[in-house]
Amino acid sequence: MKKVCIALVLLFAGQTLRAQTDTSSADAVMSSLTAEEKPEDVIASFKATRLIFSQTTETVKKHNLNFLVTHRFGDIAGSEGGGSTLFGLDNSSDIFIGFEYGLTDNLDLQFGRSKYEQLIEAGFKYAVLHQKADGSMPFSLALAGKMGLKPYSVNTDVFDDYTNRINYMAQAIIARKFSSKLSVLISPTFVRNNLPFPFIDGNEKDYVAISAAARYKITKRFGLVVDYAHPFSSFRNNSTNPKFYDPLGVGFEVETGGHVFTLNFSNAKAISEMNYLSDTESSWGKGQYRLGFTISRMFDLGPKHNKNKKQSNY
Amino acid sequence: MKHLLILLALTSSLLGQQATPALYVSKNAAITLYSNAPMEDIEGASTDGKSVYNASTGELAFNVAIRSFKFQKSLMQEHFNENYMESDKYPQASFKGTIAEKPDVTVNGSYPVTATGVLEVHGVKQQRTIKGKINVNNGKVTMTSEFMVKCADHKIEIPKLVFQKIAETLKITVTANYTAYNKNPTK
Repeated sequence: MKKVCIALVLLFAGQTLRAQTDTSSADAVMSSLTAEEKPEDVIASFKATRLIFSQTTETVKKHNLNFLVTHRFGDIAGSEGGGSTLFGLDNSSDIFIGFEYGLTDNLDLQFGRSKYEQLIEAGFKYAVLHQKADGSMPFSLALAGKMGLKPYSVNTDVFDDYTNRINYMAQAIIARKFSSKLSVLISPTFVRNNLPFPFIDGNEKDYVAISAAARYKITKRFGLVVDYAHPFSSFRNNSTNPKFYDPLGVGFEVETGGHVFTLNFSNAKAISEMNYLSDTESSWGKGQYRLGFTISRMFDLGPKHNKNKKQSNY
Repeated sequence: MKHLLILLALTSSLLGQQATPALYVSKNAAITLYSNAPMEDIEGASTDGKSVYNASTGELAFNVAIRSFKFQKSLMQEHFNENYMESDKYPQASFKGTIAEKPDVTVNGSYPVTATGVLEVHGVKQQRTIKGKINVNNGKVTMTSEFMVKCADHKIEIPKLVFQKIAETLKITVTANYTAYNKNPTK
């Protein structure tokens, strides 16, 4: 009897042991299943394709169309500001209307027109590298290229050679999302103006610039943005009349579903890279800063799978 | 002698149990979520859910990567991950529990089952009892379930200042096809 009892105890012990190995093996099976997953791309480093001045590493996704309206008002203070112009709201330094269309998830085409220099521009942005969640790729890289045309008529012969109306911009955008709140980008940029801009003796056709910008989210849909650029141009650094200043903008962005609004203050008057990098003659110190905003609206033009034909707000 | 016979019977029943595979796995469980929103219905679907079911103990585990959910619109997908689910902080949703009924998965049939356990979504654990069904058809084991998840239960915030919102309650459907787990797969 005693022996049988021992045998039974052993048996039960064996059964519980087996149950335990079952549990652990079920867990082990689950962890082996989930371990097969590949590292994910870090998404949404930025909410929009632009910050204040800078292009971000975000591209417009396939079959999506981004519609941009960007505005820079007149000087808030200084000789052109003050109450008589309602702190610059009566004036518009620049207005930009742009479209960006996603050919693939990584490549978009861009088209836009500025009031400043009446610049018509066409270009692309290509997302080359994506930051990975596991750190195997620590940053994202996008390349942007643009060509701009100044179509206005002049009384001089500077545009007799039609190619003098053409300007180019090439940019590498390197960005890292440090946390869900903080994203930072640095963009080396090459600009060529076939006719030096502004057209002053000694100004260069070609120069290199660097931009640095950051976004810090306060809430999920509200973030602070800062954007800065410096052209490495001996002409611009040394010129005293006119004097050139580095563009610096601060502001915030709000996302409301399909829209991203950016409200900012900046000394740069112009919106296109070829304009604000080449020709920022206004200074924060002299009150020559202005209110600006960008409205960015994403439309999904992809094939509709949804049976319910409700009006889309995305 | 009598005791010995019982012992033998017990041992043989144990051995018999060991012969049938107890663990079933599903590597591509289909999980969908559906939100009936005022402006537009939002649907997301993943075919990348993982599940392990122990038919002898009734233990059931589900795991799905939030990033594996695909949406019709890329911006929806981004907002789902970035604003609602915070998938960088909470990359997985999971369920871990037990099926009370433990139907015999070697016999064809359709068995209503009830799973009790912990549902973890957005890093928040909730004790849940979820109804579903196990279908067995010639050795093929399929589990289906449909249940609701309240965003508030899992601290998923629905903002006021957003034109496009998700509904306060999401409908989740799960379809998992299981295969017997082979510890040493011979390829």
